[in-house]
Amino acid sequence: MAQMLVKINVNGVEREVLVDPDDRLLDVLREDFGFKSVKEACGTGDCGLCTVLMDGKPVLSCLIPAFQAKNHKILTLEGLNNDPLMKKIQDQFREHQAAQCGFCTPAMEIMGWHLLNRKKEPSKQEIKEAISGTLCRCTGYYDIVDAIYDAGREQ
Amino acid sequence: MEQPLLNRSEMIILQPSSLKESLKVLNENPDAEIMANASDLWPRIRNGEVRPKKILDISGLTNELSYVKKDGNVIKIGALVTVSQLEGESFVKEKRFSAFVDLISKFGSLQIRNVATVGGNVCAASSSEDFIPLFLALNAKVKLSSVDGERYMSVEKFLAGKRKLNRRPNEILTEISFEDPGPGYGSAFEKVGRRNMLIINLVNLAVVGKIAKGKIEDIRIAANRVKGKIPERAKTTEEFLKGKELNEETLNGAKKVFGEELILTDDMRASATYRKALLITILERLIKKIGGVQ
Amino acid sequence: MSSQTAEEFLTEIQKKAEKGELLYIGKELKRLDDLEKVLGSPIYTNDLIPRNTLYARLVLSKYPHALIKGMSVTKALNYPGVRYVLTYKDIPGLNESSTIIPDRPLFAFNKVRSTGDIVAAVIAEKPNRAQEAAQLVEVEYEPLKAVFDPVEAMKDDAPKIHEDGNIIKHVKVRKGDVEKGFEEADYIIENTFRTQHQDAAPLETETAFALLRGDKMLIIGSMQTPHHVQAAVAKVLGWPLDKIEVIQAVTGGAFGPKSDEPPYDVASIAALGTIKTGKPVLMSMTREESMTAHTKRHPAIITHKTGVKANGKLTASKVQIVLDGGAYASLGVLVIVRATFHANGPYEIPNVWNDGYKVYTNNTYTGSFRGFGAPQAIFAAESQMDEIAKKLNMDPLDLRLINMLRPGSRTSTGQLMDESCGLPECLDAVIKASDYRNKKKLYAKQEGKVRKGIGIAMLHHGNALGPEGNDYAYVHLSVEKNGKVHLGTGLTEFGTGAISGLAQIAASVLGVPVDYFTIDRPDTLVHHETGPTVASRVIAIGGNAARDAALKLKQKLLPVASKMLNCKVDDVQIVEGYAFCKGKENKSFSWEEIIKEAYEANIELHTIGYYMAPSCKWDEETGLGSPYNQYTFGAAVAEVEVDTETGVYRVLNYYVAFDVGKAINPKSVKGQIYGGTVQGLGYAIMEELVHKDGYVVNPNLKDYYIPTSLDIPENIQAFIIEKPGSMGPYGAKIVAEPPVVLPGPVIRNAVMDATGRGVNSLPITSEKVYRAIKG
Repeated sequence: MAQMLVKINVNGVEREVLVDPDDRLLDVLREDFGFKSVKEACGTGDCGLCTVLMDGKPVLSCLIPAFQAKNHKILTLEGLNNDPLMKKIQDQFREHQAAQCGFCTPAMEIMGWHLLNRKKEPSKQEIKEAISGTLCRCTGYYDIVDAIYDAGREQ
Repeated sequence: MEQPLLNRSEMIILQPSSLKESLKVLNENPDAEIMANASDLWPRIRNGEVRPKKILDISGLTNELSYVKKDGNVIKIGALVTVSQLEGESFVKEKRFSAFVDLISKFGSLQIRNVATVGGNVCAASSSEDFIPLFLALNAKVKLSSVDGERYMSVEKFLAGKRKLNRRPNEILTEISFEDPGPGYGSAFEKVGRRNMLIINLVNLAVVGKIAKGKIEDIRIAANRVKGKIPERAKTTEEFLKGKELNEETLNGAKKVFGEELILTDDMRASATYRKALLITILERLIKKIGGVQ
Repeated sequence: MSSQTAEEFLTEIQKKAEKGELLYIGKELKRLDDLEKVLGSPIYTNDLIPRNTLYARLVLSKYPHALIKGMSVTKALNYPGVRYVLTYKDIPGLNESSTIIPDRPLFAFNKVRSTGDIVAAVIAEKPNRAQEAAQLVEVEYEPLKAVFDPVEAMKDDAPKIHEDGNIIKHVKVRKGDVEKGFEEADYIIENTFRTQHQDAAPLETETAFALLRGDKMLIIGSMQTPHHVQAAVAKVLGWPLDKIEVIQAVTGGAFGPKSDEPPYDVASIAALGTIKTGKPVLMSMTREESMTAHTKRHPAIITHKTGVKANGKLTASKVQIVLDGGAYASLGVLVIVRATFHANGPYEIPNVWNDGYKVYTNNTYTGSFRGFGAPQAIFAAESQMDEIAKKLNMDPLDLRLINMLRPGSRTSTGQLMDESCGLPECLDAVIKASDYRNKKKLYAKQEGKVRKGIGIAMLHHGNALGPEGNDYAYVHLSVEKNGKVHLGTGLTEFGTGAISGLAQIAASVLGVPVDYFTIDRPDTLVHHETGPTVASRVIAIGGNAARDAALKLKQKLLPVASKMLNCKVDDVQIVEGYAFCKGKENKSFSWEEIIKEAYEANIELHTIGYYMAPSCKWDEETGLGSPYNQYTFGAAVAEVEVDTETGVYRVLNYYVAFDVGKAINPKSVKGQIYGGTVQGLGYAIMEELVHKDGYVVNPNLKDYYIPTSLDIPENIQAFIIEKPGSMGPYGAKIVAEPPVVLPGPVIRNAVMDATGRGVNSLPITSEKVYRAIKG
């Protein structure tokens, strides 16, 4: 089998892309759609940095075969950059210096956004639980938790 | 023997749109690897551990295989039910099923729970799959579907060894079911790892039982390792406990029997000695938890 | 602002003018580089590659020690999608990829010495195909006897990994008469401590992208030291430096290994691949490649023999440190220096005898990693202190109070501590915040299966390079016609925020808000070679260079402003982007107006600031002298709760204080403290890159555990103490590394307080705690 055509809707735009059977949703998002906020740090589903929203739920795009992404709606950080809640989260990330090297930042912000959409004013423990599948090696998480916490209270 | 190198760009992906069609396709391609949401299988294909020429993708069959229902006294879970979906089910919130809550709260991460399926967890057949001991303790059954029809088999029998299933090549696991043990029963699950999330368990243990008025009427115990390399029931310990009063003497006896029943090995994550100590302590705690004593 | 009257505005400006250079110092300003980061739009190396890029994948050695008898790449070369397979034969220049000692080839040729050795690299159209084809490179090995234990490796009859024997470096400290010190002691306490391989695991792996532009090679990569990478690639290609341009892309974490040899490898392989294929090549390590082939924190075996009087006064300390260097020297030859100089902890001890060895083994190689030998040394030293306290039946706090460094004391190398020694203040802060004395008493009375414990650890940390090299830096400033200030330097940002700190310093000197600044990407063709970005030295060393550049720039602007304002140069003040004359604040010109005027007057607004730290003097044979210009101090108290039946424990509270001299940006300082603490907590509790017979067993983030958000102490309190040092700008000391050092010993000591038993090896897993309790 050679390449396959897969129709994927990313950030509201539907496109058909040609993929290899062993390509991942991650590859398609970065290389075909050009959404570089989606990061790869392990490739094995253990770090959370490739997190995107699929039909509204956070998933790991490195664990999703490109051919399984058909007919799903994908949102990356680029698709949320104009969202008012996301802007608040981003402002708070800057305020708290919660982005150090910045590599985990998109995934952390998506997890924060997803949480704040379900719960307006989560506790710090709830925030820790929400981001616990997303690794950060720089901040020790405290400033990230505080940023999401304050963004929630600012709503 | 290592399998020959596979050029993965030549893999054939089969994506039928219904279960019926899937069974037909599988019947014609019995060498196909069955893939649900792939959270376990996909990295193993990507790193070359599994080298399938064909993949039967059943992830699209959610209309047919994503149900949770109660049929009489039997709880039925479609193979494609995700861990997140299960978390929201009402039966999980009942006290006698609190083991599900214990288990799900420490399962992978939110992102993994959103895709990992209950069926996939059982089919992965390894010691790190937390649902297996719980299903074993619940005496759960799998439903295997094929063009020839359906058949049921206990989870215990279905698991033939590490990464080995008693499955005919044309069968798909479509459902896991277990009898609601009913009021009076309790359940508990615990796992220990080196950190608090994204855990590969050092040990896990599930207990289902009925302890009434201080007497152990029924008990079923399963752990990720008892004798072999996959989760198993600790039947000698169960037999020892059944019918006994729940007291220090019984517990001490059970710990001894359980310790003798366990045949563990060392690995990078922990020694056999420590695993045994953990399992014995957890067993005591989970029995007490179900029995409502501290 | 609109409601402000002109008068209020003037008063405020006057107040700000009085602060002068300190206007933006000590301010929690936002970073300059994080707007793009929160938008998910910074350009990391992997984000910029063009469509026609080829991908490289490594072929690593299958044996920890073997001769290479033959190699064939034919099968791999014929695999679909493969364009080239690089081996040692393709190197036009020198087959060497080393920092200090030239002991490591880029591609193994006659021999492999570890399973991290690179044998070949496959270049293909897709990474997937490169990965498959890498399995088809055929190498014929003749296995050799290997050695994995560094103590074994030191023996005469051990297998030789390199020709000159296995001891790479021996560092000594000889102070006083240690035997006499032991004679004077009432007790002698001896213990051995061990530490493990820790992987830095920056979330972005080592990555470089190479592209030919005419006859020049452009390399963009993830790294700490672009100029060193440039020199390394030049050596491999046999090209002159000026034909190779290296730009540091936004870098997703570094922590040390990216200042060591791995960035050389990825850059050289990408460059060679580009030459061979004529196409741009990306060499981005997979996590597995990175965790196998890059440098890790050295495992250490450390023995302490300490003499102490019954009253708690230390009389002698004899320490031996053996670092497992793995197969190559790397920057590890300097790591052992820092480890040996800090081996006795932050205490005044009259008689000291330290021996530090860095030793070759057939494990994968070890090198630079945040802390640079201090985490191992201080874990042992501070664990030993609690063992001594236990022997004396003394509170570990009292033992520390008796012996700790304070102004007037001397370190193990005899260096005199001046007023900038803030260790007592650090200790005081955490003791008070934690209510140590009361909790210690309370926890001693506990019964039951779950027990709490409280522990202390402290450190001193020699600042910047000291004995590790010439401590200099250049910072470039240039101003655009519109007033925008460009700050450029060969020093790199990889997450700490320190480069924003340089802008804060320059802005303070110039009197213009930090918003006017933009940070240019470090580029070897544009910026002077400026030494490595290591040893947390950006602020302490680079800060002085930034200040120098800003002063030079200001010297150019003041005459312009003086002319415009019609007053003496000495009276001109620039505050928050406005220039005015002292006493005549109602007349002012904006920064933009002055810059415009300067441009019209044809004044070149580009300056280069330079700083070289005073040279450090110490004796090579005895270690005695002052190896560092200044020290950072720190203390921590941790509280743990231990389940004594299972050994499972958690850290409840963590109190930590650092004397950072002067916090340029306190928020950034705390960010370093939190982040370093959690990385150190990983080292203390869970992280262990396991080597079995030379093979890395867990080179992935599934089995190599780094802390998640649910593993951090629920309560952390960080305190900043400011006792200005003699070297850094405004007294600033370094801060990025020391926080990683304390969790190991402080958690260990807290667990010992709870259980009565000390665990003398890292990581302190629940299994080790369980075993210690069961005795």
